[in-house]
Formats: sequence, structure tokens, C-alpha cells
Amino acid sequence: MTISIWRYSHLALAISSSLFLCIAAITGIILAFEPISEAIYSHASKDNTHLSLAETIDTLTDRYVEVIDFEIDPNGALLGSVITKAGDSETIYIDPITGEKLGVPREKAAIFKFATNLHRSLFLKSTGRFFVGFISFLLIIIAITGIVLIAKRQGGIKRFFAKIEKEYFTQYYHVILGRLFLIPILIVAVTGVYLSLERFSLLPKVKISHQFDDKSFESDPKIDFANFEVFKAIQLKDVRSVEFPFSDDVEDYFLLKLSDKELIINQFNGAVISEQQYPFIAFASMWSSTLHTGKGSIFWSLVLLISSCSIVFFMYSGFTITLKRRKSLSSKTSYYDKDEAEFIVLVGSESGSTFKFANLFANALSSIGKKVFVSELNMYEQYSKAQHLIIFSATYGVGEPPTNAKKFESLFSKSAPTNPLQYAIVGFGSLAYPDFCQYALDIDRLLETNSKLERLLEPYKINNQSFTAFKDWISLWSKKTGIDLKIKTPIVSKKPKEHPFTVVNRSAINIDDTFLLQLRPKRTANFESGDLLSFYPKEDKVERLYSIAKIDGDILLAIKKHEFGICSNYFSTLEIGDVIDASIQPNSDFHFPSSEKEVILISNGTGIGPFLGMMLTDKNIAKTHLFWGGRTKTSLELYDSILTKGILDQKILSLHLAYSQEGEEKTYVQDLVKKEVELISRVLVNQGTIMICGSIAMQKDVIAVLETLSETKLSVPLSNFQQNNQIKMDCY
Amino acid sequence: MKKKLLLGLLPILTLVIFSFLSFTTTTESTKYKCLIQMTNYTGEGAYVIISLLDAEGNYEKTLYVQGEDEEWYHDIPEWWSFYGKRRPDIDAITGATISGGERAISVIEIENDKVDTGYKIRFETAVEDQEYYKDDLEFELTSQTIKNKVEGKGFIRYVRMLPQ
Repeated sequence: MTISIWRYSHLALAISSSLFLCIAAITGIILAFEPISEAIYSHASKDNTHLSLAETIDTLTDRYVEVIDFEIDPNGALLGSVITKAGDSETIYIDPITGEKLGVPREKAAIFKFATNLHRSLFLKSTGRFFVGFISFLLIIIAITGIVLIAKRQGGIKRFFAKIEKEYFTQYYHVILGRLFLIPILIVAVTGVYLSLERFSLLPKVKISHQFDDKSFESDPKIDFANFEVFKAIQLKDVRSVEFPFSDDVEDYFLLKLSDKELIINQFNGAVISEQQYPFIAFASMWSSTLHTGKGSIFWSLVLLISSCSIVFFMYSGFTITLKRRKSLSSKTSYYDKDEAEFIVLVGSESGSTFKFANLFANALSSIGKKVFVSELNMYEQYSKAQHLIIFSATYGVGEPPTNAKKFESLFSKSAPTNPLQYAIVGFGSLAYPDFCQYALDIDRLLETNSKLERLLEPYKINNQSFTAFKDWISLWSKKTGIDLKIKTPIVSKKPKEHPFTVVNRSAINIDDTFLLQLRPKRTANFESGDLLSFYPKEDKVERLYSIAKIDGDILLAIKKHEFGICSNYFSTLEIGDVIDASIQPNSDFHFPSSEKEVILISNGTGIGPFLGMMLTDKNIAKTHLFWGGRTKTSLELYDSILTKGILDQKILSLHLAYSQEGEEKTYVQDLVKKEVELISRVLVNQGTIMICGSIAMQKDVIAVLETLSETKLSVPLSNFQQNNQIKMDCY
Repeated sequence: MKKKLLLGLLPILTLVIFSFLSFTTTTESTKYKCLIQMTNYTGEGAYVIISLLDAEGNYEKTLYVQGEDEEWYHDIPEWWSFYGKRRPDIDAITGATISGGERAISVIEIENDKVDTGYKIRFETAVEDQEYYKDDLEFELTSQTIKNKVEGKGFIRYVRMLPQ
């Protein structure tokens, strides 16, 4: 499968640098604790910021026989090399105010020594250092390609921080954490490279050289150190180090290193002999070192710590994603030669998940003896015996083709099919993104122009890889072609932990074969209307999901009994007191909003289920409008008592009912929606929410109505509201 | 029985007496400030080892080590052949490496009877991936030389010492 150059570089670099990157990240985690422990055990005193250098030098020379030099460490503690009155030469932390000894420098812990060495040179000295520097450089590119991939995935750099669709755990957090840690990781990588370049002397020289004539120092008049004007003017917090004159010889002097410059001071009268500003490179080196090690800042050390951890996580999640993608591609087989096959399946997929569906379809075809050929859209060519062309394609970014479909358009226009072909297109995408399944529609428009091609079915859009929707399409396609396909439902390997629920009530089955089932969790359960009840029937071990209404702590399900439905038949026979094992899946995307804005609930058939619970919650403060479509007036009787309660409690502001089998005129729920232009516009504009629950067909029709309404009345595409999370759907 | 005990005690007694004697006869020592000024070479910080040598040029004692990372000590072969065998604790006389153009001041302690008696002081330097100078600077310790400014021939430009 062709993958984009960005994804390829991102992956290839990550794989090739993985071992060393892993070592660097883990040692990085360990090393992040060093500046933290240094800062915690630091001898820095907080109130020395106002202190002048003159005062400090006075204190030190008073207290000690001889001061050789001192430095202010990154945490602000004063570390001096002195000879004490007892005649001992010591390197100690000193209180700059009192001159008292505060402690001795702690020896670097063995673990940090080991980790530092491994981190910077892998114990391979210069070779290792070069290697680590190079890996840092690769990390920069990995981070940059990562940024590009996120921007592409999100449909533009402006949407960089927009909502991310959750496909599965590792993928989701790879992207989420990627966005968060790209900046610190880039900083770590860039400073790492910088430090390596510096180490290999590949940067311009930054040595300051002081030019002065040794003999010209004035030794008259002699002033006390503490009275040097220059020392009085310098604050201790700007000092990095001070070297005291070696002897009282005329040629000896003070050497001051400040935060921005170096000074050489006459030891007799305090005159500035030489002053050199640090060049930019020196600052860059200093910042690189500070940013890379976190010295002097607990906060930044913690950022570095978490970033290092995140690198380890990215490696794990990145490889999981790759393996997953490989797996979904590996079952990709060309069942027959392209010129023998009658069914040509072409796939456009960025992440490989679309192949899963294409393969299910192709397998089903070949299992009943049909000759199938599966390939990528980019590999399109002439197929001499083809009769059917089936295209499965995702959309990438803003209505763009996925990478392995980029060439399809030009290939197709250069070499259009010469045989008559019947085609069908299935688009995969997410309603959370604008331009849902746009690319599939683009292909359809392209194929339509060709006279040899006959469109078998309208382009079909599948949201969030919905398997139910896919099966729905299969049945449409089967009906149209007369080829009966049996799609194997992928069996979920991990069954969630189940809990017992007692049947509290089951209504009689009404004329639509629909009934209400009321379950009470035996143990306390935390859930909300809109969550899903997951049930695995013993017969086929395939998960069934039911949308939950929460009423007085019980679960209420609206279920339609299907003639051959294993699960719905089983549920329809349950009696009060029976116990079933099931689990609750949170579905936070379909919860009733907790804002005080108006809400419109649109449903048909059993889709009203979760709305029954939502209407009656405390979250609903007289702001809800309910639309429902059913077959007959009798269909509604099942929900009568709850709806009446809702109206009496003033939880429902308006109720709109449509019956498709009642009277002359068949009304559907979308017809009601079409009529309520004012209401719908008001809710959308006021940032209210529209929730849709019911059949996919109804969802499509309602969305179409909303799209037209939004564009004509509000002059904005509906996708704006979708991005704003104002439209919530749970259809099947 | 009593005799035997006395005989057994004798060596211990002698040892105690001798060690007491040797303790009292330890000579006075003097502290020297020692300034090392490096040349303007480029590259990593230099390891500088200051050692005391006897008249025959054998290592007698390590006076100071500029360079804290023990991993590199074996790259200073002459000194390593002396120090590496027993590796006494030198934490108290260890400082940081010195980079090109920089200078460092340390305090070293030399016993007085090592001056003017043919003993020598040696400054040995090594820089990662560059040369190693086993005697970048070496001179005999006399009361005169010990106050001089002495020029080095490798990474060290000069050394100055000053008795305290």
C-alpha cells in the first residue's frame, strides 16, 4: 500500500532510531530527577536577590583567610572555594549574607553518572556522542513530520487543536499527546543537536579573549574591595562566578563572569581593565544546556520528565498502530488476476482501516465462487473481464483523496474503462469532520461522466466505521445485483466484564412488534441516558448494543422484535424477576447537554428509547422539543405514560408526531423537521443541541433537511454546527 | 605462661611504638595556591593531573586532579599505572576539567621535606580525542622554582604557585 511521504518518514525514522531513542528517553526520565533533587536539597537562600557583589565579597573576605573563587549555581546557591581560618582548603556552600558554611557539594549519585554517560555517549565516547546527536536530529524530523501528519489529519493547521475522532486507545492518545508534547520534544531534540554540534566544534567559536597589557595596571591608590564602585553596582543575582586575584602581584586581577558579560577588574582600585559581552552563540549554548537539562527549574525538569515518558509512550503506541495497520493490510489478497476477475474492488485508505471492510466484502464474494480482484485506487488500470467495480474510499483532510488514491483521477481520465461496468461507491468517514465522505462523492461525479459506467447504487456514506451501516449497504447491493452475500461479523475478542441485571418489567408486544424492557442493575451502576447496554447472546457471541434510557435508576430499553433476531426474541420472552448478564458502555458523545440551551430530540421507531430517559432527567429544565415518527397512532401508546408525565411536568415544550401509515398522507419525521424552520434555526443559532436517534435512513433524510435549512436560512454549512458539537447522533 | 604472653605482646608493642614515632616525625606541610592557565586550544576540557615525583622520576603522590569523571582516568596512562593499581580516595583533591583559554586555581599541599630534596612536580594533561602530554610541565621543587611562573609545552600555557 502506498503511504504518504510524511507518514513514511515518520515511521521509517522512528523505527530506525527506536533502540537508541528508547535508551535516550529512558535515561532522560532518570536524569530529569537530578535537577529536581538538586533544587530540593539546594543551599540557595531566597533573600539574597537584593545583595550587591560588594557586600558579598566583603562578607567572604572577612570570614575566610583566603577566597579563591566562587560561583552561583543554577539554583542560586553560592559555592565557594576558600581557605578557612583553621587553614583547611574547602569547597563549600556559603550563606552570602552571614558567610557561614551551609554544606558541602553532594557527590553526583552513581545512577545519574551512569545515566548521563549512557544518555550522551552510550559509553562509546565520541562515536556514541555523534550517534546520540544524530538520533536527536532524527527526533526533530520525527516531530516535524508528526506535526504535518496531525495538521493533515485534522484538515488544516487551523484545525490543529480541533476535536480528534477516537478510533482506538493507542491511536487516540498518540495524536492527543502528540499535539501536547510536540513543542517540548522539539525543544529537547533541537537543544540536543545543538549541544552535539558544540561538542564537535561545528559552531562558530565563542571564546572571549580579553586584550590588555599586563604591565599597565595601576596599583595606586589602593581601595578596599568592598568600596569598588563596580562591585557595588553589580547585584549578586547577575553573577555567575567570581575569581579572586591569584596574588597581590600587579599582574593579578578579579575575573567576573556575569549573566551577559565578562569583566576583568583591577584588584587595587576596582577599575575595569577589560569588558567583553558574551556573543549570541554563548547565550544559545547556555540556553540549550539549561533547556536540555532542566537545571535550576523544577517546573521545566517536570516538563522534561513527562516529555521523556511521552517519547516512550509514542514508541509503544506508534508501533501498535503500525502493527494494526499491517494486520488489516496483510489479509489483502488479489483473489484472481486482474484480467480474470469479474468483480474489481478498489480501495482508498489512509490508515488501512477501509481495507478491513473491502476485504470482508471480497471474502464474502469469493466464498460464493465469484472472481474478485482487490487493489488500491492508485493501481487502477484496464480490467478485461470486469463487470462490477466497487470502490471503498476514505477521505483525508479537507475532502482530499487518501494517499493511495491520489493518482486515481488522472489514471482514470487517461484510460477510462472500455467495457461496460456497473459501479458502486462506499465512502468512509466521520461526521465529526467537515466534508464527510467528500472524496467518495467526487469519485462518483467522475465515474458518472463515463458512458460505459452504470451507477448501481447511490454513493453510500459510512460514519465511524459503523459495521451496521456497512451491513446495510451490503444488503442494498445484494438486492440490486441478486447476489446474496453473507458477511462475517468480526468477533470481538475481548468481551467486557458483565454484571447481572434483574428484569423489573416487560411490556406487552405492540402492533409494531415493539416492547419496553425495564432492567434494574443488581449492583450500583453509574450510567446516563444515551449510554449503551452491551449484550452477548449465548447463540452467536456477537455483541448487541441497545441505547439506554435511565428512569429512576433503572434501565429502560425500547426494543423491536425481529422475526429472526436472536437477541430481540430472547428479550421478548423475559419475565419479571429474570436475571440477565450484560455490561454498560459509556457513550459520552450522546449524553443530554448540561447547558440551559434548548434541545431538539428527533427520533423514529425505537429510537425514542434514550430520549424517554433524557426528557425526565433533572438536566432537562423545560427546554426540550421532541420529534417522533412511527407507523400508526397505536404505535405511540407504548410510550404514552412517560410522554404524558413529560408534558405534565413541563419537561417537553413541544411534541411533533408523524405517522407513516395513518390517513391519506404519509408523514415522516423529516417532514415535520422541514416545517419547523423557525424552531430549528433558533436552536442552532443559539448554540442549542439537536440529537438524532433512530434508523440510519431517517438520520440521512433528517441531515439532508438540516443541511438545506442551514444553508438557505442561516447561510452556513451544517458542518459548522457539527464541529461545534451541536448535532449528536446515535443511529443504527 | 607469663613469658609467652610477653613474647606475644612484643611485636605489637614495637608496632605501636614505631607507629607513634612515625606519627610524630611527620613533617610539616605547606599549602600552595596553584594557578593553571591553559592555551587557547579548542575541544573538550582538559584533564590535568598534578603529581609529586621522587628524584628518580617515580610517582610519589597525587596532589590534585582537574577532571572528575573517573571513566577517563585510564586515558592518562603514565599516572594511571601509578594511581590505577590502588585507587586511593582523591575526592578531596578533585576539581573540574579546564577548557581552552581558561584558568583554574586550586590549593595543593606539599610536605616541606619534599622541597629542595630533589623531588619534582609534574603536570600531566590529556584532552578527549586529542594529544596526551605525560609531562606538559615538570620541574624540580626548590624554594626558588616553587614561586616562579613556569611555561608548559602542551595544553598548559603556564603555571604559577604561591605558598600560603
